[in-house]
Amino acid sequence: MASIRLENICKHYGDVVALDDVSIEVEDNAFFCLFGPPLSGKSTILKIILGLETPDSGSVFIDDRPMNGVSPAQRNVAMVFQNLALFPHMTALQNVRFPLVERKIAEDVIAARVDAVTKKLHMQHILHKPPSQLSGGERQRVAIARALVRDPVAYLMDDPISALDARLREETRVELRRIQREMNQTVIYVTHDQEEAMSVSDQMAIFEHGRVRQVGAPHDLYDAPASTYVAEMLGAPAINLMAAGGTALNAGRPVPQQAVQLGVRPEHLRVLKDGGNTQVSAIEPMGATTILTLKAGAETMKAALHGQPEFQVGESVSLSVDPAQIHFFDKNGDTLVAV
Amino acid sequence: MTQIALSNLGKKFGSFTALAQMNLTIGDGEFVALLGPSGCGKSTTMNMIAGMVDPTEGDIRFDDRSILDVPMSRRGVGFVFQNYAIFTHMSVRENLAYGLRAQGVSASERNRRVNAMADLLQLSPMLDRRAAGLSVNILQRLAIGRSAVVEPAIFLLDEPLSNVDAAFRSVMRSELKALQRQFSQTLVYVTHDQLEAMTMADRIAVMDHGKLLQVGTPLEIYNNPQDVFVARFIGSPGMNILEGTIASSDEGKLVDLASTGRSAPLALSDRAASQGLPEKVLFGFRPEQVNPDPNGTMALPVNFVERIGARTILHLGGDGIEAKAVLDNQIAMPSIGDILRFSIDPKMVRLFDPVSGIAIGGDI
Repeated sequence: MASIRLENICKHYGDVVALDDVSIEVEDNAFFCLFGPPLSGKSTILKIILGLETPDSGSVFIDDRPMNGVSPAQRNVAMVFQNLALFPHMTALQNVRFPLVERKIAEDVIAARVDAVTKKLHMQHILHKPPSQLSGGERQRVAIARALVRDPVAYLMDDPISALDARLREETRVELRRIQREMNQTVIYVTHDQEEAMSVSDQMAIFEHGRVRQVGAPHDLYDAPASTYVAEMLGAPAINLMAAGGTALNAGRPVPQQAVQLGVRPEHLRVLKDGGNTQVSAIEPMGATTILTLKAGAETMKAALHGQPEFQVGESVSLSVDPAQIHFFDKNGDTLVAV
Repeated sequence: MTQIALSNLGKKFGSFTALAQMNLTIGDGEFVALLGPSGCGKSTTMNMIAGMVDPTEGDIRFDDRSILDVPMSRRGVGFVFQNYAIFTHMSVRENLAYGLRAQGVSASERNRRVNAMADLLQLSPMLDRRAAGLSVNILQRLAIGRSAVVEPAIFLLDEPLSNVDAAFRSVMRSELKALQRQFSQTLVYVTHDQLEAMTMADRIAVMDHGKLLQVGTPLEIYNNPQDVFVARFIGSPGMNILEGTIASSDEGKLVDLASTGRSAPLALSDRAASQGLPEKVLFGFRPEQVNPDPNGTMALPVNFVERIGARTILHLGGDGIEAKAVLDNQIAMPSIGDILRFSIDPKMVRLFDPVSGIAIGGDI
């Protein structure tokens, strides 16, 4: 497998800036996630790494070799698309074998490689079926197996599991991560599901309008976001952002002078049933957790509580928070280092 | 507003039974989710309520009147599909006004209702834009608005959020719930996503293989699933189910879980106690009920760790045993290869019959 480095990539389509000075370093055997809203530049990055698009400026390096002028085929990077692109007239087995047959690889090598990969993916019982007779998850496995047998230097995956049922997505993301670890693969993965992104990645790059806002391990980005933008992109329900001057929440510690907003994640709010100045305006019981929507004057906050605590709509409560769990942001929305 | 009653409803396509013996009454102004995996019969049920598919058995009544011979256009039903059907050559405003115009609503009233709906769904800034250039998210929001604006007595939504992106889905969940509260329509919502059902519905009807398995409020279904399928389908992740054997101890009956250990003495309900327990049982517990406990009587190896924001999912087991634990990130987290020793509060244990999959004794 290989390391991949992007240096100062810029790309315009007419007047539209698709990528603005993007630099990313993906280590060998890392699962690296590109995360951001639609049209923030994630898919353009994949096309540039594949060699399907040429950047206006900047360079792509694979294992420290510049890829300028290197054709997509010579780069040997495999792509798994959202719509899978399986051949409907072929069986699962023929689909998996296809890239090797195309390259005129010896039959015994093909058989050995296909056998190893399909065993690993627990899919030998479906190999004789055409895609039309497979479930969504099974088709996904065929597409991944077809990418794996090629033995490329890296895999690029563009939202590969978004079309699956919710339950199947939860299982498949873990499966993808296991395969990547067991087989020591470098994967660059695009998704717009924050839970999926945090679940699978070693490192994430968070995009906004063609720029990288922050890169890091998912839990570092979650615990220490560098901006309100990153703070709001991760976590469901989203972090509560409050005006530093006018919030009903007692920070319990000095608020830095430049702080314009405070941020508190819903799981860090403590709700006390003591007839305080905050009202419960909605209750969403979800079994494992209960989400309360809370109103104090014009301010709205959400709290995520463990289990199924009893609250009534309209009930008066007060809020507290562990001071260490408060984030402070300046007028640009950038995180202030605590005083 | 309208009550919907389905009685012995069934649908066969040739020899294939898409739905059998469906009995469900959806109250006036109630939000009911039909929840299940693909092929469970939920969309067939909805299509029969709408009038797009005729049942092969049973009856559908709106407010005690059978509507089987009422054509689709006269049932007073609003419908939103997974694939929004928007007139792309029209503006957002024209799309919203379309149904009202067809009903002959006066221009001033039309304007008022279109503006109010646009406000509610945050479409006001783009009212005069052509639909053709709008994002998938906005188009789906527009599709919902266009159906809702005519204030149908019954609103049917078939996986309306499955094509929109994850972040937008959570915004739309609150908006749909608010919309339904405001108009207090009778709303039937088809989904495969238990989170959507749990967060929006007054009651959930869980379906599988053409059968209705359980109906109840989200918490009733979460806390007391009537069978193993419902137990596993509800929750994220779903309930853990391990095979066990009933054993006796000084403190009462417990479940022997072989290599996983033994449960604490069971807290049996009167009904379960009087009904007696089979020798073999399925031992159910929710991932968030796993208590890491150095003195716990159960233990499983950790084979994968998934940290997702505030919580961590531990994947436990091996050798055909599979379970998950959801832990708070505040505690020290075990690593892959560690053995997690844990306990489960006996009140949180659910037992199921290994043959039928049915819950033993109802609430335990």
